[in-house]
Amino acid sequence: MNFKRTLQALSLFAFITLLLLAAFPLRTWFPTDFFLRLDPLVFAGTVLGAREWAGALLPGFLIILATLFLGRFFCSCICPMGVTLDISDRIFRPRDSGRNLSVQSLLTLRRVKYLVLFFILGTAIVGVSSVFIASPLSLITRFYGLVIYPFAVHVLDLGLDNLYMIYSGLGLQSLAYFEPQSYRFATQIFIMAFFILVFALVVLAPRFWCRSLCPAGALLAIFSRKPLLRRKVSTSCTECGLCQRRCPMQAIEEDPHRTSHQECIVCLECVRVCPEKAVSFQAGWNKEPAVSGFMPQRRKVMASVLGGVGSALLLQTGIREVRGDIVPGNVTPQFLIRPPGALEEEDFLSRCIRCGQCMKACPTNTLQPIWFEAGVLGLFSPKALPRRGPCDPTCNVCGRVCPTGAIRDLPINERVWARMGTARVVRGKCLAWAWDRKCLVCFEVCPYAALELRRVPGIDIPVPFVILEKCSGCGACEFHCPVQAQSAIVVEPMNSLRMNKGSYIEEGRAQGMVLDPDPDREREPPEEIMPDTEEPDDLPPGFTD
Amino acid sequence: MNRKNRWLNKKGVSLDSSLTRRDFLKSQAGLAVLMAASGVGVLGKAPVSRAGGYPDIGVARGGPAESARACVDLMGGMSSFVSSGDKVVIKPNMSFAHTPDRATNTNPRVVSALAEMCVDAGASRVMVLDNTLQSAQRCMELSGIRDACADIPNTRVETFDSRRFFQEVSIPEGESFRSTEVMRDVLDADVLIAAPVAKSHSATGVSVSMKGMMGLIRNRGVMHSRYNLNQAIVDLCTLLKADLTVVDATRVLSSHGPQGPGDVIEGELVLASRDMVAADAKTVELFPWYGRKIRPDQVEHIKMAHERGLGRMDLDNLEIQTVDA
Repeated sequence: MNFKRTLQALSLFAFITLLLLAAFPLRTWFPTDFFLRLDPLVFAGTVLGAREWAGALLPGFLIILATLFLGRFFCSCICPMGVTLDISDRIFRPRDSGRNLSVQSLLTLRRVKYLVLFFILGTAIVGVSSVFIASPLSLITRFYGLVIYPFAVHVLDLGLDNLYMIYSGLGLQSLAYFEPQSYRFATQIFIMAFFILVFALVVLAPRFWCRSLCPAGALLAIFSRKPLLRRKVSTSCTECGLCQRRCPMQAIEEDPHRTSHQECIVCLECVRVCPEKAVSFQAGWNKEPAVSGFMPQRRKVMASVLGGVGSALLLQTGIREVRGDIVPGNVTPQFLIRPPGALEEEDFLSRCIRCGQCMKACPTNTLQPIWFEAGVLGLFSPKALPRRGPCDPTCNVCGRVCPTGAIRDLPINERVWARMGTARVVRGKCLAWAWDRKCLVCFEVCPYAALELRRVPGIDIPVPFVILEKCSGCGACEFHCPVQAQSAIVVEPMNSLRMNKGSYIEEGRAQGMVLDPDPDREREPPEEIMPDTEEPDDLPPGFTD
Repeated sequence: MNRKNRWLNKKGVSLDSSLTRRDFLKSQAGLAVLMAASGVGVLGKAPVSRAGGYPDIGVARGGPAESARACVDLMGGMSSFVSSGDKVVIKPNMSFAHTPDRATNTNPRVVSALAEMCVDAGASRVMVLDNTLQSAQRCMELSGIRDACADIPNTRVETFDSRRFFQEVSIPEGESFRSTEVMRDVLDADVLIAAPVAKSHSATGVSVSMKGMMGLIRNRGVMHSRYNLNQAIVDLCTLLKADLTVVDATRVLSSHGPQGPGDVIEGELVLASRDMVAADAKTVELFPWYGRKIRPDQVEHIKMAHERGLGRMDLDNLEIQTVDA
């Protein structure tokens, strides 16, 4: 195991460990979103798009600075996407290993990544974040968190299913009763398909994603044209060309003495393979003739930027593009329930990089990536799906693990007041309202005591009403409602409290809401549900004559 | 007779030589049979029924653990229910992530006292099981039940979610609710002990031992949506009939149950009975609900269970013993 491999293995291990630790309750002081913050594109795209300096993303900036000296070491040694591709390349590499593309076309394709980068920055200029379409850390977090993790848990659970009898027979109680929480996600097919495509690109060349498509790599390439640490070739070179052929990035030019530093990821493969030990990496800013034509033509760069700007502006005219301001004519999707503490919609979308970390961490699996419910610009962003799970009022993990602050990191007492929406009873389906059935599960399970039972004329039993100022939109009622298909009580994003700054408690109180800070608080009993005129025959709820 | 599922109230159990008194009682469903077996006329009024020389209901007043022990002693002691090597399931209420003062969950000290008694009586394994409404981990933590049972040997507090922990069984005596998935550990148990807290319930009047059995099955939602809830509870209790019912009335959530917060009465009582219906009926009678007197027959599932011979709510005809613990 050489130095690079060791670093790569450590990096992937740390990345997966942190992803696993991104769960409720959060059991680490170390930021579980650390790798996401290292992504230089997340830094550049978010700061530009949100028009705000994000201190949490400083690591990405430091990576850019370090690249000035060390070259693209991030790509070879740190990036979990790169490590994953190295592994998948080994698995899927075609037998013949013959290049299916000419050297020249591969060199040309290398420039595509700059176009991707400038397109993304172009959208960020108009305040739209498209970082998620190609940021390596966003992609790889989504891949491991929303596809691999649920898959692994499912396999584990199936194994436990089949071994349950054996374990309990052997008296291995702890193993027999071990129950990993299962996760299910929307859009996973698309994420998987995308990665199959990326993996398949090995047919064209190893690390094809990194060399030709990755916008973070392109950003680092711009800063690594003249790094301090650079490849040097001594006079003992016999120009055998082995290093050229083995370079995963095609960074060694026709003259093997010369290097395209911006393409070099400092993997040291050339040092290892050189039979003459002629290659080394040394510090030194010695003069070398500048490499020409590493960037696409200026015209193409401009076209990419304008393409980004234009696409973003065009998409903003879609009917499903959600705006935060509540005015007539502004269509808010009925079930777009954002996580508690999500910024105002436009700012939320300009910051959310769709990494899926919040969804992986959500203990009830209620947070789901969406398709096009909020238009193209909302793709993969999180929403709560109460039918899958209720939002736990004692949990604030989504905000804690969010790398960009799209979901605010709130203390529990504030988070309780970060109202997500409001429930409404679907009277035509409600067992009590429509069929005189004793159910009232919603009343039982509401952690905010936001349901009230009242007697109404014509119905024998008390029926549920939602008390507007007490409902936080957590969805416990919708989750537990025993009515099948559409629940008889549904949460909509109506009256959600979305704030970029300030106290939810103060604002909530000002709006007349009554969401106490501690969900297990001693509450005043709900309104007496007995009729005003107490006749001797009236019985409390649930009793019958 | 198979030791497994001994408590399951099965029809058509053959009377072979190994059948115990308890098995015999359990194999008989009808009230008339029960009464005949104990030498009481079907229309008996004045004479009280005595099963094996013990009162029908034992009530103890005092601290939670002491009262639990005292009222089980009135029933003949735990060793008359649990034999050496038995697997026991205790079903408390721990469905809410609430601390004990809310009176939504069973008092942890009542649960731990029961588990200790079972272990002392020779139980090989005691499972404390419920299917929680709120986050299982938080419920086990905040209710105090997991901590209270942590040091008791062979005792585990668990909640289940995965299908592998359940098994589909039919409810032969179910009138409308005729099959369901029950926790395997419950089906495997030799002894089933109901240990509910006494609380009001918005849909069923009260939630005591019978309503509590909903915590041992996987899909209780259908009991609300597909069936008449009260009837489904009785149907379920024909299958999950506790050998011993111990009602925690150390504090009683007398209004706005099952979740509260509501009026919590300092009941300072624990009740025990071999008859779930009688235990529930006595609990209803003992306390005011929403501040007023309620008769057991005003709780629909108690009334139905009585009428179907599952147990008795005619408290006047039952022997009730009260002690101070």
